[in-house]
Amino acid sequence: MTESLLEGWVAFARPFGLNYAFVLDAGERVAFVRGLWVTLQLCAASIPVSLVFGVLIAAGLTSGRAWLTRPLTALVELTRNTPTLVQLYCAFLVLNMLISQKLEGGNPITPFMWVVLVVALHKAVFHAEALRAGIEAVPGVTLEAARSLAFSRGEILWRVQLPLALRFALPALVNNLVDLVKMTAIASAIAVGDVTYESIMIWSQRDNVLELLLLILLYFGLLTWVVSVAGRWLENRLRMPGYGQ
Amino acid sequence: MDNDLTLAPLGRSGWTAGAAALLRAVARDPWFITLLILAVPALYWTASGTTPVAVERLWYWWPALMRGLGMNVQISLLAMTLGTMLGLVVGAISLSPLAPLRALTRAYVLAFRNAPILVLVYFTTYVFPFEVPVAGWVLPFPDWIKVVIGLALPASANVAEIFRGAVQSIPAAQWEAAHSLGFARTQIFRMVILPQCLRRMLAPWMNLYASITMSTALASLVGVHDLVDTATVASNTVARTDFTILIYFTLLALFFAYCYPISRLTRYLERRHARH
Repeated sequence: MTESLLEGWVAFARPFGLNYAFVLDAGERVAFVRGLWVTLQLCAASIPVSLVFGVLIAAGLTSGRAWLTRPLTALVELTRNTPTLVQLYCAFLVLNMLISQKLEGGNPITPFMWVVLVVALHKAVFHAEALRAGIEAVPGVTLEAARSLAFSRGEILWRVQLPLALRFALPALVNNLVDLVKMTAIASAIAVGDVTYESIMIWSQRDNVLELLLLILLYFGLLTWVVSVAGRWLENRLRMPGYGQ
Repeated sequence: MDNDLTLAPLGRSGWTAGAAALLRAVARDPWFITLLILAVPALYWTASGTTPVAVERLWYWWPALMRGLGMNVQISLLAMTLGTMLGLVVGAISLSPLAPLRALTRAYVLAFRNAPILVLVYFTTYVFPFEVPVAGWVLPFPDWIKVVIGLALPASANVAEIFRGAVQSIPAAQWEAAHSLGFARTQIFRMVILPQCLRRMLAPWMNLYASITMSTALASLVGVHDLVDTATVASNTVARTDFTILIYFTLLALFFAYCYPISRLTRYLERRHARH
């Protein structure tokens, strides 16, 4: 059934000059599907991690304590103004090497985890900027009201500022997450078997670069579309009358 | 007379105070501090002849690294030029009154903004031929130019959005006012709308330039001899742990030194624009 469907598709694409014969090869098809799955896993792992880090960095930036805000500001500037690929190299080729040397080979951190960590931290910085703007946009009277109700600093942040900041920052956060999905493609640089890497492996055997790239672009288009639809749904879901748009 | 007496000492003390203030300002300048942090150990090492091997190797590789950085800058400048020209055309079409044309540019912008830049770079590198026959001649089509095109495509989609946003941010009343003064559509655009747009576009445009510059690091993945590639080669050639650490963090510092001033300038422009 699947076999005949795939054959039909290959026959359908051929007149357009596209050679999708690799899907008929079981090994390459499995590798490609595994690549799709790994990219999905990368996104699914880094999105929550980036949001958690983003909230933490935003909380630190708005805490008003110099020993916390200064290093965080430096981290934000460094992350924003250097290429993600170089950050990934610094993490994977330097930190990972040092950890491996320290532990003499028994390094528990896989390349997959490094990609998740670097990509998530990179985007967390952008989340933090958006959330900070949201936190600072919370009206002063609201905070006064919360303080007069004996909320502590942490409670104000968690129950008053963040819920409002989230609504304020949601469009920016969704934008960042769309960027994050696209950024996972750099996993191929350190041989994590994501869809880009598996495609490189396939097209170095066959001469079908264009065909595979179209598939990859379609796949990323689908993923970013899902993220933005989810974002829009959340925006509608969380909309509060009288606040924001 | 009274004035003279008070002015003379004030003038001198004012001068010394000014010099002191200048010195304090210089001493607090982050670039000066960075220079000092770099220069003091360098001087000490040269004077005492105890330069660590890793630093010596870094010094040896420095010209190659600078050549690599030059390649990154070259790619980024060309990609941005190409992207801006293409993006302005696409942006102008996206404002056209014809719906099918608008839909076409919408699709273009969506496609190139939602594609990972790395995939676009692979796309242009592997799909384009390595040489092109032009009127009997065979011209080489080097990889770095393909990377320029790969980066110019997403840049153009972003420039188109920036341009459209800037034009649409000008209140419609200005069009109507200029119309009523007898300006033609092209005149209004050239003399009223565009000067205001250019100012509004500058900050996001520079943001885009910084982001494209950072994306040039991806060129190393398709075999262009850029800064990242040079650093990898150096680290593999020297094969010392301390040198590997040093060179990758130098890489980070070099990109930071190039992009951070741009981002500071962008923020300054944004603040200035916000006041207007």
